[in-house]
Amino acid sequence: MRHFEIKRGEWPSNAGAPAQRINGQIAVGSAAFLGRDMPGLRPVFEVKQGEQVEIGQTLFTDRKHPEIAFVSPVTGRVSTLAYGARKTLSACILEVDDTVQADPASVPIEAASAASIRETLLARGMWIAFRTRPFGKTPTPDAKPTAIFVNACHASPLAADPRLVLEDRMATFRHGVSLLTRLTEGKVYVCQSPGDAFCAEEEQIEPVSFSGTIAAGLAGTHVDRLCRISATEKVWTISYQDVIAIGHLFETGQYLAERVVSVAGVGAARPRLVRTCLGANIADICDAGEGSRALAGDPYTGHAATYLGRFHAQISVNAKTTPKPIRTWTLRKHTGLSALVPTGALDHALAPDILAVPLLRALSIGDSETAARLGCLGLIEEDVATLSRRCTSGTNYGALLRLVLDDLMEAAA
Amino acid sequence: MMFASQITPRSVGGVTLAQSAALVPPLIVVALAEPDRYAILLAVSLGAALIWEAIFAVLRRQGHGIHGVTTALIVTVLVPPDIAVWQLAFVVSLGVVLGELVFGGRGFGFVHPATVAVALLMVSFPQIQLPASTQALAVATLPGALLLLALGLISWRIIVATAVMTVLALFVKGSGVDLTALSIALVFGLIFLICDPLSATATNPGRLAYGALAGVFIVVFSSGGPPTAEAIVLAALMASVFAPLIDHLVTLAHARRREKRHA
Repeated sequence: MRHFEIKRGEWPSNAGAPAQRINGQIAVGSAAFLGRDMPGLRPVFEVKQGEQVEIGQTLFTDRKHPEIAFVSPVTGRVSTLAYGARKTLSACILEVDDTVQADPASVPIEAASAASIRETLLARGMWIAFRTRPFGKTPTPDAKPTAIFVNACHASPLAADPRLVLEDRMATFRHGVSLLTRLTEGKVYVCQSPGDAFCAEEEQIEPVSFSGTIAAGLAGTHVDRLCRISATEKVWTISYQDVIAIGHLFETGQYLAERVVSVAGVGAARPRLVRTCLGANIADICDAGEGSRALAGDPYTGHAATYLGRFHAQISVNAKTTPKPIRTWTLRKHTGLSALVPTGALDHALAPDILAVPLLRALSIGDSETAARLGCLGLIEEDVATLSRRCTSGTNYGALLRLVLDDLMEAAA
Repeated sequence: MMFASQITPRSVGGVTLAQSAALVPPLIVVALAEPDRYAILLAVSLGAALIWEAIFAVLRRQGHGIHGVTTALIVTVLVPPDIAVWQLAFVVSLGVVLGELVFGGRGFGFVHPATVAVALLMVSFPQIQLPASTQALAVATLPGALLLLALGLISWRIIVATAVMTVLALFVKGSGVDLTALSIALVFGLIFLICDPLSATATNPGRLAYGALAGVFIVVFSSGGPPTAEAIVLAALMASVFAPLIDHLVTLAHARRREKRHA
């Protein structure tokens, strides 16, 4: 197994880390699909407000690609369907109804051909688990990636250890990985922490280990070390829990919305791992008092939210309760632009082999050509979060990177 | 480096504060010779730098920074004590306005305002000779240098490249190389003018090239013997003019290397 030691980025801290055992199942009152996770997605709803839905039932499809279905993570009732600007998805909120307890029969799906696997993933709501590099978007239904990266790396002590989650799901996970090999002619890299390999090395499957800073757990770092990407050479990334769900879908014919989520951080009353569902209501998971300080996502990229996002498996609880009142002089200070000082901390912030300060300068002025030459195509928002934290300018480089990526995507289309 | 990334200032004001703290010991050592005179000079340069910052802050309706403090401190250390007060006020004003404020403030220009101020002093008043660096000044610079290194605000690559290249260039030129005299002459200008993160290159290979270029300029501009303060100021000015070009070449070379990776 190849190993990569990542020395750049934020070093993990154990403060507020959960014990690595799963503290039971949490039944949430509501769950949601948020437009935030799929920017620009225009839905065609197949359900109406107030309608009863079952787990795995199609809620809406993508208007551009009607093959891509978005399915319900819970059994219950559709309480809100909201459009955002330009008929994009704002939110689709579902109220859980425990009284209807359907127990669908377990019918394995036969993975006859590559086309049928694709069709199943598309129609049964698992296609959106993939994200492309470059650009970090849902792949088009006919796309052929040059490689697929499964992220099963345990880099942050605040997150759940994949080894624990996979313990009793290993066979399902391996089945999922073998299905992924049918979607690409290249390799499926299973990126994990050092230790026993999750998958045996095969012709198309390669386990690779990463350790070091928190950046060792970012898919952008894995892609940078193993593969070359450009506007035409695309790879896909997927999280290990989604691979389990894919394996489960083909083994039983049922949609698996259950996810292990960590509730951790310096402000967490009792840092813990819980089983809950995709898009779960954060307040239902948190203890009383934690909810107001909880962020969806890790402490670096997380944001205050009511529901977990599609790709979140972590709730970070801050120490601070309320933001400090802003004094007038700080307001005055923030009205001016602040400069980027090329400090040593910035040089050591970015794990992919990219020159940090030139990249930040290119992003600041929206120079997409230079940014692409420097290697920004391999990055998405989460990869540059450390740079935003460490830069003296206080700029949100994730937002600037998205503007540049949108620009490059338009040029490539 | 784990440590440095934790304590590095997260705002431009923090950077200015750290640099000002690093400048205090050199200023005290220089001022001990004529405390009264230096008190006046410091007041004048601080006043000139901060007034211009305030004027620009009001005109641009932006917050008021204190970045002029480092400019004033560096200029006060470098100028001779017998300089006329109006001359000092004049060059500090020009340096702060032309080297920094016209670009939009600290961090948006490409030269250090103190370098510009002293260079303009040398051009406008050729009869004024900058005092040579002393051993005490060199020693007093060291704690600040260590502080800035620990905070990641200066790069050891620039220091090493400049020192090595200066020695090499002196050797090629055929002048004798007295390492003690050389380091005494170099250290203040090297740390506070040449290594300034905002006027130096921002990539690691670029830092080596930039330091080497500065070393060559130092020897070219000094007429034999150990480098003069004038030569170091001019070398800092010239090197920082070339810094963006060096960084650009480094990014091109890096992009080419990236292309060949995973091929």
